[in-house]
Amino acid sequence: METKPVMNPRTAAGVKADKREGRSLWMDSWLRLKRNKMAMFGLFLVTVIILAAIFAPFITKYHPHEQLIWTEGKAAQLQPPSAKHWFGTDIYGRDLFSRVIYGARISLQIGIASMAISVIIGVTLGAIAGFYGGIVDDLISWLINVIFAFPFLLFVLALVAYLPPSMMLMYAAIGIINWASIARVVRGQVLSVKEKEYVEAAVALGGKDFRVILKHILPNVLAPVIVQATLGMGDVIMLESALSFLGFGIQPPTPSWGYEIDQGRQFLLSGQWWWSIFPGFAIMSLVLGFNLLGDGLRDALDPRLKR
Amino acid sequence: MSTYIIKRLLAALPVIAGVIAVVFILTTIVPGDPVRLMMGQRGDPATIERIKEDLGLNKPLWWQFLDFFRRALTLDLGKSYRNNMPVTRAIGQRIPLTAKIALSAMAIAVIMGVTLGIISAVRQYSILDYGSMFVALLGISAPTFWVGLLLVVLFCVKLGWIPGTGTGDGSWIYLVLPVITLGIRPAALIARLTRSSMLEIIRQDYIRTAWAKGLSERVVVMKHALKNAMIPVVTIIGIQTATMLSGAIVTERVFSLPGIGRLSVEALINRDFPVIRGEVLFLALIFVFTNLLVDLSYPLFDPRIKYDR
Amino acid sequence: MLKRSFAVALALVMVVAVFAGCSKPAVDTPAEGKSDKYGGIFRMAVMSDPPDLDPVHATDTSSSRVLYQLFEMLVDLDSEGEIVPNLAESWTISPDGLTYTFKLRQGVKFHATTENGTPTANGGRAVTAEDWVWTFNYITNPKTNSERAYFLDMIKGYQDYQEGKTDHLAGVRAIDDSTLEITLEYAFSPFIAVLAYNTFVVLPKEDVEKWGAEFNFHPVGTGPFKFEEWVQDDRVVLSKNENYWRTDADGNQLPYLDGIEFKVINDLTMEWTEFTLGNFESIEELDDPYYHEALSKYPDSFFERPQMGTYYYGMNVTLEPFKDNKKLRQALNYAIDRQGLIDLVRNGRATPAKGVLPPGMFGYNENLVGYEYNPEKAKQLLAEAGYPNGVKLTLQYNSSDAHKRIAEALQQQLKQIGIDMELKNVDWGAHLDSVERSEVPFFRMGWVVDYPDPDNFLYVLLHTDNFGPNGNYTRFSNPEFDRLTKEARVESDPEKRRKMYQEAEQIVVEEAPWLFIYHYTTHQLLQPYVKGYELPSFGAYSAKYYDVWLDN
Repeated sequence: METKPVMNPRTAAGVKADKREGRSLWMDSWLRLKRNKMAMFGLFLVTVIILAAIFAPFITKYHPHEQLIWTEGKAAQLQPPSAKHWFGTDIYGRDLFSRVIYGARISLQIGIASMAISVIIGVTLGAIAGFYGGIVDDLISWLINVIFAFPFLLFVLALVAYLPPSMMLMYAAIGIINWASIARVVRGQVLSVKEKEYVEAAVALGGKDFRVILKHILPNVLAPVIVQATLGMGDVIMLESALSFLGFGIQPPTPSWGYEIDQGRQFLLSGQWWWSIFPGFAIMSLVLGFNLLGDGLRDALDPRLKR
Repeated sequence: MSTYIIKRLLAALPVIAGVIAVVFILTTIVPGDPVRLMMGQRGDPATIERIKEDLGLNKPLWWQFLDFFRRALTLDLGKSYRNNMPVTRAIGQRIPLTAKIALSAMAIAVIMGVTLGIISAVRQYSILDYGSMFVALLGISAPTFWVGLLLVVLFCVKLGWIPGTGTGDGSWIYLVLPVITLGIRPAALIARLTRSSMLEIIRQDYIRTAWAKGLSERVVVMKHALKNAMIPVVTIIGIQTATMLSGAIVTERVFSLPGIGRLSVEALINRDFPVIRGEVLFLALIFVFTNLLVDLSYPLFDPRIKYDR
Repeated sequence: MLKRSFAVALALVMVVAVFAGCSKPAVDTPAEGKSDKYGGIFRMAVMSDPPDLDPVHATDTSSSRVLYQLFEMLVDLDSEGEIVPNLAESWTISPDGLTYTFKLRQGVKFHATTENGTPTANGGRAVTAEDWVWTFNYITNPKTNSERAYFLDMIKGYQDYQEGKTDHLAGVRAIDDSTLEITLEYAFSPFIAVLAYNTFVVLPKEDVEKWGAEFNFHPVGTGPFKFEEWVQDDRVVLSKNENYWRTDADGNQLPYLDGIEFKVINDLTMEWTEFTLGNFESIEELDDPYYHEALSKYPDSFFERPQMGTYYYGMNVTLEPFKDNKKLRQALNYAIDRQGLIDLVRNGRATPAKGVLPPGMFGYNENLVGYEYNPEKAKQLLAEAGYPNGVKLTLQYNSSDAHKRIAEALQQQLKQIGIDMELKNVDWGAHLDSVERSEVPFFRMGWVVDYPDPDNFLYVLLHTDNFGPNGNYTRFSNPEFDRLTKEARVESDPEKRRKMYQEAEQIVVEEAPWLFIYHYTTHQLLQPYVKGYELPSFGAYSAKYYDVWLDN
């Protein structure tokens, strides 16, 4: 069920030997991942989009906020895709290709930042609950259950609907919802690792709790957390677009894919399909990429499914 | 069995209390005054003050929190700030529609998902397997509202097969697109899970042996394998059914349907706190009950699991 | 046994079918003297559920739209915004402007049935002056907590009643069955206009008392349509009031329509799409993207006209950077190209605002010295204001696509003169709250009149008395302006009033606490076969459907 323990403190040569062993374990996983075509396609999608987000200014001629109607007049409004504007323009004459490219930054930022928050809270609380047990565990488990029982979309909506909008708030609101599933996984892992002899030994030898958790327990929970976080990225990106759709998204004129779909939606029926379609495909590609990659990682990191 | 159920329900109480506490804290720290909002753009301060007093909003938070529980025990969740309707009635009116859509979507998702999942597992690495798994991946990667929107454009506007959104004249045809939209994601999730769970069991030795022994055994074991493989699937069905009710927010918005999800969005916009609290309580209870149902159904799939004690 | 009952049922069905078949032509062919305008259900798509069908608590236009069909006021506004008799046939005002005597219309009856033929508690009896006295007392009763009771604070005894010093509203009494007298505490010229507001309707005491708080879900009034059904967030269904008092020019009883159905479709895109599919006779709002298409498809049944409302960005004059900086406020007003904005993002569907009062409003000043687009002057003023290198502002607006489009366009315009306007959107509740608390220097706002009088604009939105929730969000305060608008409230000579308001408005324009943007238009899109409709300048939501008919 669990990945193998990667460190064994009992032998003197343990540290060195285990490091090599650990590396090879990760290497094994990487080799397994590389053989998985679907996963590599996912990795390709994610990489391309990340690169596009980083090098956005070099890819597009237009700034995503630039409204061409002020310089080129009404003709620049709602232009269909052309050589000049690959994805067409919106009602202000903004280049949609550049808005989609820059939009990747927003989606990735929200995905990564909120996932980081989830992972930090989830791993910390999960490890503490699993390691200490008792009333601490009861309390944290209760909190996990409360989060699970809370209708998550309502929770996020309530946060972002009333508080002054900002990217930070968006990260926090989404991050606060997602930590529970990570905490649950980590807690389970820690509970089972804790019973292992080498951990008991480390504790018996007077290792500080913090050090024991950090050195002996956390490496073992890393793999499932990576899988969980990668798969969760897709959900977070979708959630952000849903919030924008419901009218609780991030600030204009910041280009966000969800906001673009929502804005373009009104024109979808009057024939200006491009405004809503391209950002939709963008979301789909990125989420698909993370899902494929996450699937591949799970298979690669979980020896049980070795083929 | 019944002791088990009672135990589980008792264990759920602190969780429910926690959920309500969170919603109470959320609704009191947010800026903006619900009573002020009732007044429209301009309001008379004296009337605002009087309404607040009548609603008990000047009382301390802990008092409001305890009062909520005291009254919730008698099935009184207060009245909507917006239109004065008792919250239980407001929720009760919305349940049939949302339940109809969510349960139909779930039924379709289970049938489609399990079938595709089994076929893919049995014919692993076939075109069929790759094809259906890729479709399933698209299903969980495309934003729900976007798919719904495209369905409307296609079937209502371009093809004209479906008369429109909303509930129309109440005919079932209006629910076809919402059910599809809401069902896509769980169908895809169930298909993927069924496949991987089946694969895991098929790989086990006793199944391989039986498989090798010939057809009749194969059929018997397939039945067993399927039964076993269903445990994680049942779990996800439970989780999805519970989250579907809140996922309905988006679908109901796309199709202008007056269900539970719409009620919560309107309540949020209008700071209709009694409705928000009532609805969160209701959804949390649904969550607890579906989880219990799922757990109780495990013995059906694996006789080794029993809840005697 | 089973077969027998089946046969009986079948026979019944056939009988019903035969009768139904017979009755059909009888409806279609006009009987002697009857008009062929009768029949049909008017289906309208609306954006949101009305929160209140109890007129005493309604504060919004989606409620008003329905209330105007169910209930009636003493007086009404015609489509030009002029006050016309309604349930009061005529009225006289005492020379001191304090006593109003209304002659009530005879033969007005409350709805006799409602909700699928259920008899009402009042039994369909006639309305008397006593009903009006009861209703006004009910509205102003502090226990009722009517959100709009304060509109009547000029009626004699209002304060005492609200504060619990008396048990009734002293200023309203019945002289006889058909004469109502209202006495005011102080002369208030727009009083009659206030009475046209949709809260001040006559209510049947029996039904209000029977239902209590539930009256909201079982409204009973005197209007041309009766309440049938309200499915929350889905539809409101009204049916024809057979006992309605109004008749058409040929003496045919109104209304023509069999009923009205308001269907909630909370998406403008879908409203338009379904309208083109023929699912609705009308939709609440035609969104800009479909404007040109609608104009060409429905040239004779799309109505649009200026509405008595103004869209503006408020500048809080007590907060930095607008505090004591008239030049900055003026610079902003010179910096925006109103017509360009309207053409680009509003499809030309608005009138540029030079000042506060919208065209069509009493007191509107053709010759107002207002602002036009002059970037050079704006730059110069900006420099004089102490910002030669430009300035950074944050505009707070409430989330909506329309507001967003306007803000984004203005952001771009202001950039041309070096003003960097950041946008911050918050939800309506938080917006209103923070703006009223004087926490926001620069904010979007709009105002559409409650009653068609400049008092409802200038006094309410800019007088020192009305800081905060009462309407003055910019905290503008000018003694001369205060004096003029206060005196105009009691002035009875229309010409003098007009002059006072024009003078007051000029002060506001000079001081520029607002960035004046545009005056609203109101519009309604109907199917070509809808006849007899008139778009009210007060706003499409106040349209009455008693003489609308369907020609199909």
